[in-house]
Order: sequence, then C-alpha cells, then structure tokens
Amino acid sequence: MSRLAAALVYAVLGAVTFVVCFPLLWAISTSLKPKEEIFRWPPTLIPERVTLESYRELLFGGAVASAPGAGVPPSAFFVDWFVNSVIVSVGSTAISITVATLAAYSLTRFRFRGQRAVPYVAILGYMIPSVIFVFPMFLTMVALDLPDTLLSLILGYVCITLPFCLWLMWAFFRGVPIEIEEAALVDGATRLQVFRQIVLPMALPGIIAASIFSLIVSWNDYLFGRVFMNSMDKLPLTVGVMHFFDGTHVDWGLMMASSVLMTVPMAVLFGFMQRHLVAGFGAGAVKG
Amino acid sequence: MTDVAIRRLSKSFGANRVLKALDLTVPSRQFVTLLGPSGCGKTTLLRLIAGLEQPSEGEIRFGERRVDGLPPGERNIAMVFQSYALYPTMDVARNIGYGLEVRGTPKAERRERVGAVARVLEILHLLARKPRQLSGGQRQRVALGRAMVRKPDIFLMDEPLSNLDAKLRAAMRGELRRFHLDLGTTTIYVTHDQLEAMTMSDLVVVMNEGVVLQIGTPEEVYARPANLFVAGFIGTPPMNLVPARNEGGRVTVEGHPLPVAAPAGAPAELILGIRPQDVSMAAPGEPGTIPGKVWMVELIGSERLIEVEIAPKLRVTAQVRASHRAALDDAVAVRLDPAQIHLFDPASGRALARDAGRETGAPPA
Repeated sequence: MSRLAAALVYAVLGAVTFVVCFPLLWAISTSLKPKEEIFRWPPTLIPERVTLESYRELLFGGAVASAPGAGVPPSAFFVDWFVNSVIVSVGSTAISITVATLAAYSLTRFRFRGQRAVPYVAILGYMIPSVIFVFPMFLTMVALDLPDTLLSLILGYVCITLPFCLWLMWAFFRGVPIEIEEAALVDGATRLQVFRQIVLPMALPGIIAASIFSLIVSWNDYLFGRVFMNSMDKLPLTVGVMHFFDGTHVDWGLMMASSVLMTVPMAVLFGFMQRHLVAGFGAGAVKG
Repeated sequence: MTDVAIRRLSKSFGANRVLKALDLTVPSRQFVTLLGPSGCGKTTLLRLIAGLEQPSEGEIRFGERRVDGLPPGERNIAMVFQSYALYPTMDVARNIGYGLEVRGTPKAERRERVGAVARVLEILHLLARKPRQLSGGQRQRVALGRAMVRKPDIFLMDEPLSNLDAKLRAAMRGELRRFHLDLGTTTIYVTHDQLEAMTMSDLVVVMNEGVVLQIGTPEEVYARPANLFVAGFIGTPPMNLVPARNEGGRVTVEGHPLPVAAPAGAPAELILGIRPQDVSMAAPGEPGTIPGKVWMVELIGSERLIEVEIAPKLRVTAQVRASHRAALDDAVAVRLDPAQIHLFDPASGRALARDAGRETGAPPA
C-alpha cells in the first residue's frame, strides 16, 4: 500500500513538474529549430535539426544591420536591450538595497517619531498595483525632463522595489540580536565599524534575498518600460522583444531564443546565490 | 586596579523609574554581585556602568575618572552577556581578538594574546571554529576569553551562567571564581540566583525596585538581613516571617511568650523572622514553645521540612533531620532558637536590635 502511495505521489509530482517545466522546454526547443520546423505539424519537442541561427541573429545581428541601405531589423537591437536591462536592473537594485538596508537598520536601532509606522506604510505602498501610479509617475518624469532615459526606468523600479526590500530588511534586522552589536561597542568598535564588520556580514542573507527580489522585479517588468521608453535602442528586453511580433507575423524563433537568453542570467544568478541564502545565519551567536 | 563609585544614579524609561538615586561603591579587586528578583534594576545598573545606557541623573566614576559621558569602548571594561553575543560570522580566534583588532593591536601580538587566553580557558583547539559549531559551555568560554584578552579595568557579567545546564553551571561557578582570584580584576556580576551570589562573591548587593537594600558579605546578608525583603529573599528554604507582639518588653507569638526580649523602643507590633534550620520540634506544652499541628511534611534528601500550623493560615517551617518522623495533623510544638531570632519593624521593614550590617537606609518596598 505504501509503495502504491509513493508511486502515486511521484506520479503527481512528475506531472506537476512537467507542466511547470514544459513552457521552458518548449522555448528552448523552438529556439533551436530552423524556421521551417517551427510550424511543422505534428510538432516536434526535440528538434530534428539543431541550429543556433536565432541566437546568431540576436547576438550578432547588429553588425549585419549596419550595412547601408538595409532596413534595420528589430533583432539588431537585441544586445542594446540586453545591456539596458542589465543597467536598469542592477542600478535600481543597488539603490533599493542601499537605501533599504540603511533605513531598515535605523528603523530597528534608533528611536524616533513614527518609527513603528514606517515599515507598515511602506508595505502598504507596495500593495498598490503599479499600473495605478505608472502614469502619474510618467508625468513626473516628463516634468523632470527624464522620459526615454534609463535613469527614469531606474527610478521607477526603485519606487516599486524599495518598499518590499525595506520591509524584508526590517524584518531581518529585527531578528539580529542587539547584544551582538553592544558586545562590539564594548569591545571598542565605532558605530560605523559595528555596522560594517558585524551587522553587514550578518545581514548578507537578507541582502541577497532582497537583491534577488529586486533584480527579478526590474528584469521582468514590462509596464514601466512600455510607458517610459520610446527609442528603439533604449528599450529594456521585455519591451524590445515585442517587436518580433509585428501584427503580420511572429518570429517565434527569435522570440523563443530571446526568452531563453532572458531567463539564463536570472537562473544562473539564483543558482549561485541560493547557497548564500540558506547559509545558517546567526546560529550559535546567542543562546540556542 | 579600579574601584567603581556610583552616586545618586537614576534611570527612567519614559514614566518608568528603574533606578532611584542609587549609591554604591564597588571596592577595587572585589567580586561584587548584584542580586535581586527580575525587574529590580540590576541589569540596567550594569548597562549604565558599561555605557550601553545613559543615566537620567547621577554620576559613575572608575577610580578618579568620571565615565558616565563616555562611550562603552572608552571605558576599558569587558562585558560577558547572558546570551554570550558572539559574532556569528567570525571564527573563535577573531571573536576573542576583535577588541584588540579595533584598537589597532598588531597582528602578531593579537595572535599571541588570543593564544594565551585560549590556553587558559582550554579552547585552543576551537580557535578556527564558528560560534554555531560550539556547545553552550564552549561559547561561554569564548565569551569569557573575549572579555579577558583585553585586560580590562572592570569585568561586567550579566547572568553569564543562566543558559548552562545545572552541572556545567556548578563547574563554571568555581572556574569564574578561580579566574577572578588569579586576575584580581574588579568584577560586577548580575544574577537572580542567590546560590551564585553566595558562593562567588566578596560582596553581595541586594536590590529591589531600583534601590539597594543591603550591601554585605554573603555571611552578613545571610546572617544579619537588614530588612524584611533581604530576610525573605536570601536563603533556601526561605526564612519564616510571622507576626509577633512586644508585650512589655517580651516577644510573644500568637500569645505564647518566647525567651526573647524586645529591644528598647521596639513597636508593639513586630515581625519575627527565623530560618527553618533554627526551628526544632518539641512536645506540646513544653515551656517556651509554640504549639500547633503538622500541616505538611517534605523530604529534601538528608533533611525533612515540617510545616507546622500555629494559627489558622499561619505556618512555621522547621528543617529537621530526615530521621525525624511526623504525621499530618499530629499535635506538636516548635521551638525557636532565641539566638537566631530576627525582629523587624512591620512599618519600615527594617531589622531591629541586631547589627543590621551595612544598611543603606532605603526602605524595602
């Protein structure tokens, strides 16, 4: 009976895993197919002939496109979009994490008016759908003469990621025993030394978690990129790849190759950082 | 060598006044224990001495140096926290040497001093480990090592043994006392455990509700409690405290005269205190005894506690040899050793007649 139960559990788990993974598998498969195989019926999951044609066009298409007289195909901008996405994701994450870490630390360690309300107001702000404030924010960007710049996107992403990062770091710092910092103060460390040498290393798992969150949000965002950006060479990846879909035809090969290339950095990052996330922080420092 | 002088020290958290104009002198090289129940202000006092809290009023001096405005790092103190508070991301060697590191001690000297302390504490083999890889006792030693390595003027210890199991705690009590005798550093030790206070201290400071109620050697606070609070707090099982009367200079309990004279000027109403081991069992009707009946009998190893009800809801506990048999509701009498009787003024709570040790004059709550 228990063997049957185990078999059932594995069957269900296998089915769920397949459903979850299928889109990714399909994207990888399609990205590796030659164009004529993509629409063949019945479809093939494993390409009969593997080609890197779509990837080549995305990554090196820019050189071809610069030939005089040729219309510039959207794929020529893929590398630009990729770089843009990296800049805005990393930039907004750096700002969000720096501000959130310092703010959360002060919220848990110093007493001031409204101290308890700040994290709750922040998390409330995060719950407002971004579609509500994207247009007011766009108008603000216009007033600041910032639309169609990467800086506007960075600021936009900071607005949506900062509240949650602040909340996360706040919850994290609340769990860091204050005696450890007091011990360092008694040992003769300055406030800054305490923060740099004691608090930050302890907060690393929290910082990594918040960074992953912020990177994923800004990397995957479509709305802000669509509203704020206009020039072809300044689009983020998510908005850019929509140009492979132009109303008359969809270039599924490029679309899927782009999807794979967009997924890879996040997957690698997550795989690498995951180890740090689970590193047993704090254990053993205070009574167990 | 540094003595600690605390003058009119007060600390309030909002409307809550935790320390009330407290005066205390900790003599140089002594092991002084702050003893009191939870919330009596002893940890707050220690944190004020450490510089982790700022006093609302009053001053703290280490020797001639006034320190209450200085940050903790400039007071040359070391503190052992109840939770040990080791740095989780650093190995044991760096944990111990961190105080030297931030003070700019050269690496070679640091390594040498950390090694010397680790050898004394027998944790040399643990230097490369992280705190989470240590047992409770080992963490305790690392915390001690971190305090010892800097050769501070004063050791502050906040219930450092409370997270250890009973056996280890007993062993560490002896070791801490031994370290203190070897190093001779002024030590202020906070605990609510009177056994720790009695076994380790040169001086015991009994505190309650933000004031010092008595300062004395362990023998003094035990044998000559200055007031009702100290009398009831020190000693296991606790002292019997029963209402008594001064009838023309003669002390009576429930109308039974005792062979004890009330001191001159004693009020009519008294509280009589006597430790259970100074109470013996007698046959009913013997002169100078108080009759009653056995209410409860408890065996505590080699001895037996017999609770005798001498009046409704008024019981006296006698600690007698385990061989002494008594059955519930037996008619018995208790004899109080007249030399060991303490008398207190119920209004002020102060001890009467006997030398009350170095009482501070603050009334108990």
